[in-house]
Amino acid sequence: MFKSIDWSGYVFISFFTIPFLIFNILPIIFGAYVSFNEWGIFGEPDWIGVENYINVFKDKYAYLAFKNVILYALIIVPSVTILGFFAALFVNQGWPLSAMGRTIFFSPYAVAASVIGLIWVWLLDTQYGLINQYLNIIGIDNIPWITSYEWAFIGVSIASIWWDLGLAFILFLAGLQDIPTDLIEAAKIDGANKFQRLSKIIIPLMRPIINMVLTLQLIATLRIFSQILVMTYGGPAGGSSSPIFYIYSTAIERQLFGYSSAVSMTLFVFILILTLFMRFMLRARA
Amino acid sequence: MKRSIIKILKKYNLTLLDFPIWATGTFISIIWFMPFIWMISTSLKLPEHAITKNIEWLPKVVTLENYIRMLEFPIMRWIFNSIIQASISTTLTVFFGALAGYAIARLKFPGNRLVFAIFLASIMIPSEVTLVPLLLAFIKSGYANTYASLILPTIANVFSVYIFRQFFLTFPRDLEDAAKMDGAGHFRIFFSIALPLARAPMIATIVIIFTLNWNNFVWPLLVVFEESMKTLPVGIAQFAPNEGSYTQEGFTLKMAAVSCLALPSLILFFFLQKYFISGLSQGSIKE
Repeated sequence: MFKSIDWSGYVFISFFTIPFLIFNILPIIFGAYVSFNEWGIFGEPDWIGVENYINVFKDKYAYLAFKNVILYALIIVPSVTILGFFAALFVNQGWPLSAMGRTIFFSPYAVAASVIGLIWVWLLDTQYGLINQYLNIIGIDNIPWITSYEWAFIGVSIASIWWDLGLAFILFLAGLQDIPTDLIEAAKIDGANKFQRLSKIIIPLMRPIINMVLTLQLIATLRIFSQILVMTYGGPAGGSSSPIFYIYSTAIERQLFGYSSAVSMTLFVFILILTLFMRFMLRARA
Repeated sequence: MKRSIIKILKKYNLTLLDFPIWATGTFISIIWFMPFIWMISTSLKLPEHAITKNIEWLPKVVTLENYIRMLEFPIMRWIFNSIIQASISTTLTVFFGALAGYAIARLKFPGNRLVFAIFLASIMIPSEVTLVPLLLAFIKSGYANTYASLILPTIANVFSVYIFRQFFLTFPRDLEDAAKMDGAGHFRIFFSIALPLARAPMIATIVIIFTLNWNNFVWPLLVVFEESMKTLPVGIAQFAPNEGSYTQEGFTLKMAAVSCLALPSLILFFFLQKYFISGLSQGSIKE
């Protein structure tokens, strides 16, 4: 019996498993422990029970961060899904220049957060930004995209949609290419027009991928951080903040490691609940 | 006249009704790329030409002044750090992923299904949960601000295991069986036969993981606070408007800085997009 077991398999997987346990799993357990302590950059941890969690629920900036991230999700998730779907549908037609379209729609996804953030800071600059200059031409006054409490949020969302579209687009495109062409041809022969083919054949067949993109994008948006740090630094007055930005500022600026671990754990549960809720809704519809 | 237009369109697989859709779509895709063009164009302008009354897509005077001025910042150091971090991380991630993916697909040992299920389930955990505790551990142990702290937490990437497992599950194992008959051990088979055969998934994984590491922002931002240890994305982020060290610099310089970070990723992507696309779509869809 022992002869048929490849013992060297354990050696093979250990190279991956050891760093996986140390750097991916252990920190979660350690983080849970830290969240029940008060712990600064110096000194020892001080066990305070659930006090950090009580404070998270009382903290109005934490509340603002979680409220914002729901709004971000409501703007970004549908925009990325719908735009990504139509971009993929367009590129999949195989019309002239569609290879160019494929490269372009994916390309922002390939660059770093600092690139996205800084390019959009310049494009959305209130006085000299390109977007406002074009809006002026059609008679719209300068919009304070990243410098006002009301708009900062929209500015960050625009940059995020531009950045995130690439992955949704590629997943949709791969899905569309898997649809058998004879199915579409048969519908054509039966006299179904473009819109009927889209609503009766393509969208139903793509449902699993649409659901997957919605879920992936929801998780990605709930973790929104880098573009906020670069573009608005959470401001003005917390108007564009997010939970991870709040974790960052409590850990790095105020060095409240226990407290920011408690916010992390809260976010973890929050993401889990929203993702499960979304899956449940999508299942119920199917 | 109309007939000849239809004929021309037909050659391109378009009907008369499709044409406006094609034109709009192509227009949107060009607009979608414009932020990059604006970035490059601004970076080539003289500082005094950045702000104009009318929109100027092309610089009046093309200058490399902004790029030369970048040398006043520790950009060479940041690039060096990024290359070290990204290449070591990528090598280890891909190598460990290949070993594990191969073992899970090919070798029979108790628990190999379970291990893989655990790896997959761990994707559901947002990595941000681990940020603060990892940072705390690195600070308290005195290892923050080192290459080790930049590299180690990135190397256990499930994506890499997944891609190699998928590949070896479907790839015929005749060659490996033949080598086994000749008495070769598992490690020899892996290094001399399996790994060379897995070229396609290997390139796809290298390209994707390298880009991921090159662009990695959040973890390096946290764990490194000395200027000389910063990676390029973190260094460049200091040109951000609100909290950076170089906030006051003009937009021409900022766009030159951003171009230094963006152009390598974009060029890599343009030439290797086939691998990006196949890797990402395999990695997420075929579950």
